[in-house]
Amino acid sequence: MTADIKKTGVRRFFSLFMLVIVWEVLSRAGIINPFYVPAPTEVLRVIFSLFSEGTIFSHLEATFFASLVGLAIGLVLGIFLGFAAALISWVADVLEPIMLLLNAIPRVILAPLFVIWLGIEIPSKIALAVVLVAVLIFFAVYNGIKDVNPLLVDRVRTLGGGRMVLLREVYVPSVTAWVLGSLKIAVGFAFTGACVGEFVAATRGLGYLLQFAQSTYNAALTIGLIFLIMTFVLMLFFCAEAIERRLLRWRYRGPSEKPA
Amino acid sequence: MLRVRDLELGYGQELIIAGVNLEVAAGQFVSLVGPSGSGKTSILRAVNGLLIPRSGSVELSDGDAALGFLFQDDALLPWRTARENVALGLRIRKFSKDAALTEADGWLARLGLEGFGGRFPHQLSGGQRKRVAIAQILALKPKLLLMDEPFASLDAIVRMRITQELLNWVEREHLSVLLVTHDLEEALTVSDTVYLLSQGPRARVLASYDVAIPRPRDIFATRKHPNFTPLLERLWNDLSETMNSSEVEAQK
Repeated sequence: MTADIKKTGVRRFFSLFMLVIVWEVLSRAGIINPFYVPAPTEVLRVIFSLFSEGTIFSHLEATFFASLVGLAIGLVLGIFLGFAAALISWVADVLEPIMLLLNAIPRVILAPLFVIWLGIEIPSKIALAVVLVAVLIFFAVYNGIKDVNPLLVDRVRTLGGGRMVLLREVYVPSVTAWVLGSLKIAVGFAFTGACVGEFVAATRGLGYLLQFAQSTYNAALTIGLIFLIMTFVLMLFFCAEAIERRLLRWRYRGPSEKPA
Repeated sequence: MLRVRDLELGYGQELIIAGVNLEVAAGQFVSLVGPSGSGKTSILRAVNGLLIPRSGSVELSDGDAALGFLFQDDALLPWRTARENVALGLRIRKFSKDAALTEADGWLARLGLEGFGGRFPHQLSGGQRKRVAIAQILALKPKLLLMDEPFASLDAIVRMRITQELLNWVEREHLSVLLVTHDLEEALTVSDTVYLLSQGPRARVLASYDVAIPRPRDIFATRKHPNFTPLLERLWNDLSETMNSSEVEAQK
């Protein structure tokens, strides 16, 4: 089993490595125009210079700050509204249509509006990240409570548990599972919100830098930034997955934990 | 121990149970059998307070605290370990965390699950999960056990073993039991009295049967007792008759 996983990993790494080699050769040979698709080594050189000259750090700080603050506020807001809607019917009546509408549209189209309302600095980027994350988490919590296994509710009630015990032992763990299951997507959404907000109008941030690279036809910088953003999102994604695996260990079955 | 009088239960407009009377005396094992849809589970839910009767009464001489409900599904909290699941009822009854867990470990050991307390439900087999559910109930020291086809989901061998173990426990502790089952042989093997319900809706008790077989019982030896087969035939004939008559009614 482990040998198979190792083999698959080697194959995947090898195919990616081959892709980069072919890309490098084609670009150097002039078969593909390096103006549009610069060689991987050129992209790496640009990324390296961004770090060595230190120009990237204020942009990284802006994007990370906006996405992480947006993620935190979005989580809190989504959980609060989700609980309120699931437990109080009139709140559900008010919130559900708004959330369904926000869920149905590509929420990044709100970016220009947030720039008009909040300016081109970080608050407008945070606001977009919040809207992206909060709607996702709202539905995770709302559905999590609605879909709680009624047998578990009956079980706790027959053991003598009241509302508080039900909340602590059944509803909160059930909702936590839903929220943590959505956390990986939420991280990506928060980063998307920050970057798109910066792309629309900003003075710093990875999205701003990307917009600058595009307007100056700098393909090497554009590809380098796309690569960087992908790397950071994947990093956050794996952090979120590690948190999920830690907190939802009751769901995962390790190799030594088969039923006896 | 338990007295159900003129119980009427319904969902929406439909009356499921129309005037059921039954009794479970202290230390008595009573089963409730009947066709599917006769409302057997609804009666158990009403006894346990999960369903409010339209009319009639449920009288428990020792109050709700003396009740233990064993579901068809083991209904363990998936995010709690086996020992935490067993300790849950004790925690609700104000045991300290440590005392509840120690007590839970003792019950798991008694039910043959020593060393499995730290496992989550998905890491246990069906039979082990059922034992955890039984430990969860017995830890509360109930005087009346309500069981809704508790072993229906288990394979035949595990089912027989657990049935015998539970029967031994019930006899030793003089517990009262109200069991709902589809299995007529199982009902007669374990019970002192079997109530037969008519086809629902508007189900009622058609007859009750006293099982004159001495205790303690072995589930295999009981089936060979001279009183067993005639009683099983009587019960089967009466059940078939009610099902046939309800089919004739439906065709009219």
